[in-house]
Amino acid sequence: MAETAAETPVQTRRIGDTAIIYASDYLNKLSGERIERECKRQLESGSRALVINFRDTELVNSIGVSILMGVIDAAEQSNARLIFSDVNTHTASLFEMLGLTRHIMLVKDEEEALSQLNTQTNAAGSPAS
Amino acid sequence: MTQQRILANVNRDEFVGRDAELQEIVRHASRLVDRRGLILLAAPGVGAAELLRQAYDQLFFRRGDPIPIYFALRPGDGSAETARRFFQNFLQQYIAYRRVDPSLCDAPIGLHDLVELALPGDYELVADLVESFERQRAANDERDFVRFCLNAPHRVSASGRKVFQLIDYLRLAASRDETMLGQELATAVARSGSFTSVGLRRQIVSLLRGVEDGQEAAETFHLKSLGDDDARRMVDVVARRYEVETNEPTRDLIVQQLNASPFFINQLFKAAREAKTSLTNFLNCQRLYVDELMGGRINRHFARILHEVAPQAQNRKTLLRVLYESAAGETHKASLWAWKKRLGVDAAEFERIVDALHVHELANSSAAFVEVNVDSYVWMDFLRAQYRLEVAGEARALVVATTLLDTIKRAPQTMARKYRRETALGLRDLVSYFNCQNLPASLFHYDRFAAAHKGADTESVNEALDAESDLIRLPQIVHATGCSAYAASIPCGGERCAVAHGFEAADYTDENEVVWLAVEIESKLEASRELTEEWCIRLTALARDCGFQKVRLWLIAPEGFSPEACKLLNEQEAYGSSRRQVELLTARIKSEVRAEQAGHVDEYEMIIPMSADTELIAAHAVEQIARRVNFRPEAINQIKTALIEACINAAEHSLSPDRKIYQRFRLENDKLVITVASRGVVPANLASDNGHEVRAKDEKEDSKSRRGWGLKLIQTLMDEVEFERVDDGTQLRMTKYIR
Repeated sequence: MAETAAETPVQTRRIGDTAIIYASDYLNKLSGERIERECKRQLESGSRALVINFRDTELVNSIGVSILMGVIDAAEQSNARLIFSDVNTHTASLFEMLGLTRHIMLVKDEEEALSQLNTQTNAAGSPAS
Repeated sequence: MTQQRILANVNRDEFVGRDAELQEIVRHASRLVDRRGLILLAAPGVGAAELLRQAYDQLFFRRGDPIPIYFALRPGDGSAETARRFFQNFLQQYIAYRRVDPSLCDAPIGLHDLVELALPGDYELVADLVESFERQRAANDERDFVRFCLNAPHRVSASGRKVFQLIDYLRLAASRDETMLGQELATAVARSGSFTSVGLRRQIVSLLRGVEDGQEAAETFHLKSLGDDDARRMVDVVARRYEVETNEPTRDLIVQQLNASPFFINQLFKAAREAKTSLTNFLNCQRLYVDELMGGRINRHFARILHEVAPQAQNRKTLLRVLYESAAGETHKASLWAWKKRLGVDAAEFERIVDALHVHELANSSAAFVEVNVDSYVWMDFLRAQYRLEVAGEARALVVATTLLDTIKRAPQTMARKYRRETALGLRDLVSYFNCQNLPASLFHYDRFAAAHKGADTESVNEALDAESDLIRLPQIVHATGCSAYAASIPCGGERCAVAHGFEAADYTDENEVVWLAVEIESKLEASRELTEEWCIRLTALARDCGFQKVRLWLIAPEGFSPEACKLLNEQEAYGSSRRQVELLTARIKSEVRAEQAGHVDEYEMIIPMSADTELIAAHAVEQIARRVNFRPEAINQIKTALIEACINAAEHSLSPDRKIYQRFRLENDKLVITVASRGVVPANLASDNGHEVRAKDEKEDSKSRRGWGLKLIQTLMDEVEFERVDDGTQLRMTKYIR
């Protein structure tokens, strides 16, 4: 389950200006830093929205979560939107306990994440907004 | 069927209260590969000699390897005679065992007859030994002769026959010659293989100290006085053996008055049989006791010891005076200098006298003081009577009469003290169990307890106590004793008052050093303010006199305290509990200790290195364990995360020298207790306040702060979390209840 020390690339895909980043099975310091680095790379290369998909993530630790705070900061500074998807119940409750949910939206899956981002984009682009 | 006796004085089924010790000796004899000896450190008069003889009989009839050999030193025999007796005794017991003929053990047989009795396979060996013995004796070199005799078992061992020697040093006199002989014997015994030696506890250790392969290589076992229950059973058995009628109260009195000593009990019943007297009332018991004290076996026992201690009559008389006057003093002790001056003997003789008194436990000597042992009724009665007769020159009839009157008057008090001791809460024992447990505060505040729980049944009180959030963390007590050891002036029995030294939070620093002064006070109703104040003053004075810096007073009154008394206790920041509170508290502490001591079948231990992701291995292990007791999946995830955080915490903060994390998972009825420990430094903010400081700080910080969430998570995910200071590092204990 755990990543080895050797560098394992973070799985990512891009849909338009949205980057979807897949977290590994254990969110710890090492894997957290890889996600952080990848998110920053995506933002620098023009992504306007980030979705971090936790479908494979079974366990997280506090160091990994604290690194996600760095990702939130980076997204805020780039005026990019950030959504977490496919978070299991236990991890969601940890995010809640540690106050992440005050800064981030959790959605059921990737589809809902993209739909949320579309809704937000449309709302931002509509004459009423 | 009763086992036949060989050397034992009583039948096996009449040998009471020493089963464990007997088993230990037999077990030791069976360990053929282990050449280490077993040394029994015996208090005087506890039946150690009979224990060794019983062990011999048991080993003889067991018919296994090795061959048991028993030998008891006798005072005044001299080296050559002791050595000759040892040799003869050894050969005789060896042949008796090989021929399976116990009657040979103590039959009057000459050495040449023994050669004829040897089995064909042993003939050559035995004949050689006897021939060498004759040669050594004829050579007229005592030193060589002694050495030859004492090493006979070693020669036999060298020829392939295993022997197990049981050596009784109990009657070794405290003289230079006998000590040297004892050491020579001990050296020879240690050389020949495994052994059990028994001696007076204050003598045998120093005797064997200089012996090669002796004390250092041997296991030691303390042989203390019998407990009251065993001593009562023994009195019953001995009374039947000697056909002396007794009843329950007199049996109790005999046990108390004779300090549960098998030696004195036997002597008293022998005397009762000879006098054809029944012991069915206190008057008869005390008459017989005083007869024994004035001129019977008990008298002869102490007279023999005093004669050994001070052989010259004038010195003995002076010694009696000094002993009596020291015993009569408030502290029962005097400086060595004062003793020496009063005894008027030279330094060597003075040292010998004090050593001998110490060995026989008639007095306790230290580098500066001699303190008379006043705990033994029998010794004190003897000393008093002898002083009056021999020093004060009082008429014998008067001494006999007044001693009898005194002992008769004392009997009900002796019994009352026993009853009080039995009904006492055992504070010293209780505080010894204090080890940083968290207990509901209401157990230490009678006013709160009475307001909340008076009249409630135990079950509902316990439920309420379980729910109580105001907790008192007990210190870790490292030493507890009765307050009489500090101040004779405090009027309470040893069982009713305790002085307990320890550390708060088990943190071994000057600031955390604390002394608990706990006392059980007598009051039929709720203790009044006056009585409570009186005890607070006494205990505070004791603390002041002893120089205790940080003190916690804990008063216990059977029915609790009046409202005014509670107010006083609160003002003084002292604790006050009723007997019921203490019982509830004791049950809580002891159930925890029992669970710890019992050793759990459902307990798992795991050590992981502090390296990348090893915490996952621990998390998977705990998942499997938690599944066995049906924790809900959500709870299992919480446990796993808490454990991961604990491991990370240990790795990050401890500066661990071995880079290892020690984990224990204990499944109890309704909970899983996980301890995570690591060696290294203790983060000051964790151990000092059990992590509360960290949590408060974290909560104040913005949730965007990058680190420091581990402990907060653990505390949220688990039901109970506690940091414990261990000898070298920290231990985190986390509990999750099954719901």
